[in-house]
Amino acid sequence: MRKTIVSAVSVLSAVALLHAQTPADSWPTYHGDFSGQRYSPLKQISAANVKALTLAWVHRLNTGANGATVGGEGPDPRPGGGAPPSIKSTPLLVNGVLYVSVPDHVYAIDARSGREIWRYFWKTRGGDHIGNRGVGIYDKWLYFLTPDNYFVSLDAATGKERWHKEIASMKREYFSTNAPIIIGKQVIIGVSGDALDVPGYLESRDPESGEVVWRFNTTPRKGEKGSETWPDEYAMSHGGGMPWLPGTYDPELNLYYFGTGNPNPVLAGQSREGDNLWTCSIVALNPNTGKMAWAYQVTPHDTHDWDAAQTPVLIDGVIDGRPRKLVAQANRNGYYVLLDRTNGEHIVTSKFLDSANWVKAINAKGQPIRNPEKDASVPGTLVSPNTGGATNWPPPSFSPDTGLLYVGTSQTFSIFYLTDTDPHPQGWAAAERNTGNVGSALKAIDYRTGRVRWSRPLAMTATGSTGGAMGLLSTAGGLLFGNDGGGNFVAYDAATGKPLWHAGLGANTSNGPETFVLDGSQYVVVGAGDSLYAFVLQQ
Amino acid sequence: MGHRQGHRSCEDHAHNAQGGGRASVTSGGIVAALALLVTGLSAQQQALGPQTDPAAIERGRALLGQECGFCHGANARGGSSGPDLTRSALVQEDEGGKQLGEFMKVGRPDRGMPKFDFSASQYADLAAFLHNAIYLASNRRLYKILDVLVGNPKAGESYFAGAGRCATCHSSTGDLKGIGAKYDAVTLQGRMVYPRRGGVPGSPAYEDRNAVRATITLPSGGTASGAIVRLTDFEVTIFDAATRQQRTWLRNGDTPKVVVSDPLQAHLDQMLKWTDADMHNVTAYLASLK
Repeated sequence: MRKTIVSAVSVLSAVALLHAQTPADSWPTYHGDFSGQRYSPLKQISAANVKALTLAWVHRLNTGANGATVGGEGPDPRPGGGAPPSIKSTPLLVNGVLYVSVPDHVYAIDARSGREIWRYFWKTRGGDHIGNRGVGIYDKWLYFLTPDNYFVSLDAATGKERWHKEIASMKREYFSTNAPIIIGKQVIIGVSGDALDVPGYLESRDPESGEVVWRFNTTPRKGEKGSETWPDEYAMSHGGGMPWLPGTYDPELNLYYFGTGNPNPVLAGQSREGDNLWTCSIVALNPNTGKMAWAYQVTPHDTHDWDAAQTPVLIDGVIDGRPRKLVAQANRNGYYVLLDRTNGEHIVTSKFLDSANWVKAINAKGQPIRNPEKDASVPGTLVSPNTGGATNWPPPSFSPDTGLLYVGTSQTFSIFYLTDTDPHPQGWAAAERNTGNVGSALKAIDYRTGRVRWSRPLAMTATGSTGGAMGLLSTAGGLLFGNDGGGNFVAYDAATGKPLWHAGLGANTSNGPETFVLDGSQYVVVGAGDSLYAFVLQQ
Repeated sequence: MGHRQGHRSCEDHAHNAQGGGRASVTSGGIVAALALLVTGLSAQQQALGPQTDPAAIERGRALLGQECGFCHGANARGGSSGPDLTRSALVQEDEGGKQLGEFMKVGRPDRGMPKFDFSASQYADLAAFLHNAIYLASNRRLYKILDVLVGNPKAGESYFAGAGRCATCHSSTGDLKGIGAKYDAVTLQGRMVYPRRGGVPGSPAYEDRNAVRATITLPSGGTASGAIVRLTDFEVTIFDAATRQQRTWLRNGDTPKVVVSDPLQAHLDQMLKWTDADMHNVTAYLASLK
């Protein structure tokens, strides 16, 4: 087993070109490969035969401690377990085994049968249990983060713990959700948490010892580049910028791309005049050293919680007849940006959320500049999108066959009330009251122009349009897998958005779908709430 | 963000809290979020908990005002020469005044911080106040909204009757009579912009009088209509008010044909048109209808 794992990982590490693929029988990292495209060249399942896609197995996660390997620093678990978890991680597939996680739990599941091989239970001290994006694998070891800020390594074969290291303080309202990304011998992780005004950082940890190799601060220290965009050292050292989602990687350029979080205080900017670098930015850095190569701020001086943590998708494309190495992002602020990923040069900015009402102008660098009148105010300011954003963490997909970037969106509105009028406000500093959603849709964006090629409205309920951000997967079979906001898992025609197949799971899919081949059969696996579902073609 | 309330995302970044409710977005994530709420695990959404001894907090507040406020401000957020104590890592990491006391007994004379020789219970009181302030800053569900009624009621009345077209459906002497006495200003403003409530305990969303409705053309040629329980590309379920039962038809393409009507369409259209000044003015006008 060890040998096979090593080979899967080394193939991934050796990927020299963006479209060179990982083996069909593996999904060894969060996005499947380093590009963040979530595009699979597999085409056994295609638009022509997808109607024959049928359930192979269902696996409902067991969150009880009995029978699990137990670790952690917290008290013994209450009998009966907690609330059902929501699967937000994309399972890794290595050597026929799926590794999936939810907060405080990791599972090894036989990908052919859907049966549990082992599970690991972490006794938590607390912290925000909002989600866990997944595990990373290096050699025979798994890595994951816990809500109470431990970096834990497990034996992939047995689920036995190797060690755990504390990476941040829970008392300062840090928590951890990220899926570790492994590049060479760097295990890259980031912290979360913006309830208090604490600084964000990305770290590389050694896969053997678990100790820090380098740390990148997402806000500058005194005298560093970017510090001129803050009023003082105090503001930037309390300035947030949590890198809470996994990034992408170009092996040729040896650059890791990730998005940073919103500045703090979150909804009030009076104590942090300026652009507040490197918050709300796409950052490119050298994964060996943690040194920044370039950064592009998608929302200067954000005042609405619109981080730039959404996947920076790597695309090898053609712009004005010239091949370019690109990075694209459908940002939470309602705008799409396309950059040259060698140097961060801006190419396209385009609005994809019609209802967005907060922008005064697009500047010469292509950045949407906020209308200060749309900042939170004491009597209330009506803003779209709400703090949840035009889209959010669920991974989008890009198909090189169609040239379309797919993203789930919603046109929410909220009234933002400034509650902390102190010259030095704290935490969120404002309250939000939702005032509805004028329309959720699955959108397909032309990567070259940013224009929306097609837009498919999502489900309706008694309270109006529903659904929005969703995990997506496109394939060479001409398919786009996602949900419809109404509890169905759907295969859409990737070119047109027409639904071709669906399964009524009863709950919306809650993670990014994935696909692989085992024993000659192509599987599609997706999580919805506390269960994983696997589909294959009916023989 | 609306984790507790309804947005999937926050979650996604872990942003919880929205106060009063009008959850509008529903998704699988929300189901999970609601489940958390119902099972009382929501406390786990945040590491910090409230301080439980109000008297200790008050003693700490007084002590801070007397002994620390000159440099650190009466609210501990920093003053003429001392930093914000509520953002201090030492304070945030402190447990019940222990680490704080150890620090204060020595002080930091080289930086102008004298030593303080308090009793253990005084350090604990000071810590109770500071940890309470930190908890209140970190928990946005507890933030208090300030004065919402800043608009001009006269201008609001004009907008109501004129450009806002509110009077097309509403009347200050009819359905809105006394509305200003019925709701607090924040609720009033929220409901004015978007009156629909999501499902509340004991009352499914499809029984709300403002529920979105569908009319379905049946294969027989007749029609059925009712509040939408669920409408997707593959199914339509409505609530039949006459029989008080849900009815479902599977869909294939546009068959059967479904026409959606939203009693609040004018409010959705207006959502894209409001200026904040108009919104404040009409809120002030409605608040005056007592």
